[in-house]
Amino acid sequence: MTDATRAGIPRLKPPPAKAGGAGRRGRVLVRAVPALLLVLLALAGPLLAPHAIDRPVTFPYAGTDGDAVLGGDQLGRDVLSRVLTGGAPLIATASAIALAVTAIATVLGILAALRPALGRWIERVADLAILLPAVLGIMLVALAWPGGGRLAVGAAATVLGVPYAVRLVAAAAAPIAGTGYVEVAAAGGERLWYLMVREVLPNLRSTLLALFGLRFVEGVYVVSVAAFLQLGPQPPEADWALMIRENAAGITLNPWAVAAPCLAIGLLAVSVNLAAEALAPARPTPETPL
Amino acid sequence: MTTPRPAGAGAPPGGPARILPGAGRAARLAARRLGLLVALLAAVFAAVELLPGDAAGATAERGESAAGVAARRAALGLDRPLAQRFWDWMTGLPAGDLGTTARGQHVTDVLAGPFPNTLLLGVLALALSTTGALALGGWAVLRPGGRVDRVIEAVATVAFALPEFVVSVALLLLLSQWTGWLPAVTLTGADGAPESWDMLVLPLLALAIPQIGWNTRIVRGALADQAGLPHVQASVLDGLPRRRILVHHMLPGAMPAVATGIATSAGMLLGGAVVVETLFNYPGVGAVLAGAIADRDTPLVAGVVMAAGTAVSLLLLLADLIRTITLGERR
Repeated sequence: MTDATRAGIPRLKPPPAKAGGAGRRGRVLVRAVPALLLVLLALAGPLLAPHAIDRPVTFPYAGTDGDAVLGGDQLGRDVLSRVLTGGAPLIATASAIALAVTAIATVLGILAALRPALGRWIERVADLAILLPAVLGIMLVALAWPGGGRLAVGAAATVLGVPYAVRLVAAAAAPIAGTGYVEVAAAGGERLWYLMVREVLPNLRSTLLALFGLRFVEGVYVVSVAAFLQLGPQPPEADWALMIRENAAGITLNPWAVAAPCLAIGLLAVSVNLAAEALAPARPTPETPL
Repeated sequence: MTTPRPAGAGAPPGGPARILPGAGRAARLAARRLGLLVALLAAVFAAVELLPGDAAGATAERGESAAGVAARRAALGLDRPLAQRFWDWMTGLPAGDLGTTARGQHVTDVLAGPFPNTLLLGVLALALSTTGALALGGWAVLRPGGRVDRVIEAVATVAFALPEFVVSVALLLLLSQWTGWLPAVTLTGADGAPESWDMLVLPLLALAIPQIGWNTRIVRGALADQAGLPHVQASVLDGLPRRRILVHHMLPGAMPAVATGIATSAGMLLGGAVVVETLFNYPGVGAVLAGAIADRDTPLVAGVVMAAGTAVSLLLLLADLIRTITLGERR
């Protein structure tokens, strides 16, 4: 599969030779650095914030001045401090979603590869989930579960993200399940969990790491859209997406109140995505839902 | 493009005999999609029901008595069995009845005004993202592994990773705030439609850019899969121009995958519309949905979600039919 897509049109122009294993590992590291730095900065942010996030330090939508480097928000609170504080909960929720989706999808995906009858059922459920746009599904769950807050958004994002991810894991696990050594182990009477954990799982490392990265990006997307729609964190909280929604009205007075959290979400999504792409085995085939 | 071709038109001799099995296959596909759709609707209905809280409680005023809430619950029909309510909802669907909002209006009445505006925006965004993706994907696949290919791949990935509101704010700052080229908000005329065409540009771009990213990757992958096939290799050996190979020999085979990508795009566009229409004050279904969220009006949201699911099913069915037709010709 990967060779077919990588080959492109061989006779039009030969693709450049692949880099060696050591070179590839180095490139992966280089590409993962921005994401790691950004996550560290967001986690350390609350310690670096110069002001309290809930008290006005200047007048509403004040521009840049000596005290508030990025100016004030709609209540005159320090934008810089709020941006520094607003990343940690977003990253925590997105990681939790990515971890849950990857774990569930790994178990179900490997099961589907080893037990084709179950695989067909999983395929059907995945077909079902494609009909429901994720944002709409999450809106629905968050509404029907008032008071669910971040938990409701996280649970809905996990449930809606799993079918897609299972498909990806099953596709990667299927060729491994068909290899001789797995068949030998199965014929030798090994239990199912042994086949899953010892025979198939170790060969899926790079697929799963890339899957985790992509699900993290998706998690950032979902959590921030929900926050933007005021479904997750509630107003006094500093949250990047919520800040954008709250300060959009004052964009002409202090553009930084909107631009700074926007830039933060953009950089997070892009840097983690690039890291995940680098981890993916060779050139990943696009997630074509078929 | 997707209607079944008339018998004989372009079909080889003995056409009707070959079309019949194709029709049976198409009917089976339609039945399967319909089954999936009903299952989805049932799942949505059950999810709304099983989660704590309901529309009557969520719309309760501060200090409203329990009896008042119960009365509204009865008025909304929430006290009837789940299966009966689902059956009523399903049977109303073909007549265009999407149910009643928590405020007692018909969902269809609430959506009738803004719907054409969102449809306009959505169709334009879908057209823009499809053309953009075909152009970029085709350009990338002609130079596999080259600089153009890598740049397009990276930009497409980035574009798809960005939430719509980030794209919106970037466009807003760039094209409106700093350059003053385009209006920042949409003003609604007396007829409920946007006042001038340039108010459409920013929401359109904000909706289309992430979808261009998504579809470019699908187009590129589908075209690359075609590139390895014998008939494409043969036409390369024949020395046909690259553009001709791309359009006439690779694109037809890639169409099924591309059509599926576009169908999923349509669903994501509606999700994005909620955000984009709120930010640009565009008078569409998305803005109504955002208001429904603020009001905790679950029936309205459920009605729209189900309408969206139905629309995506229809588009996927079209994609299935395109696949059947394409593969039918090939065999």
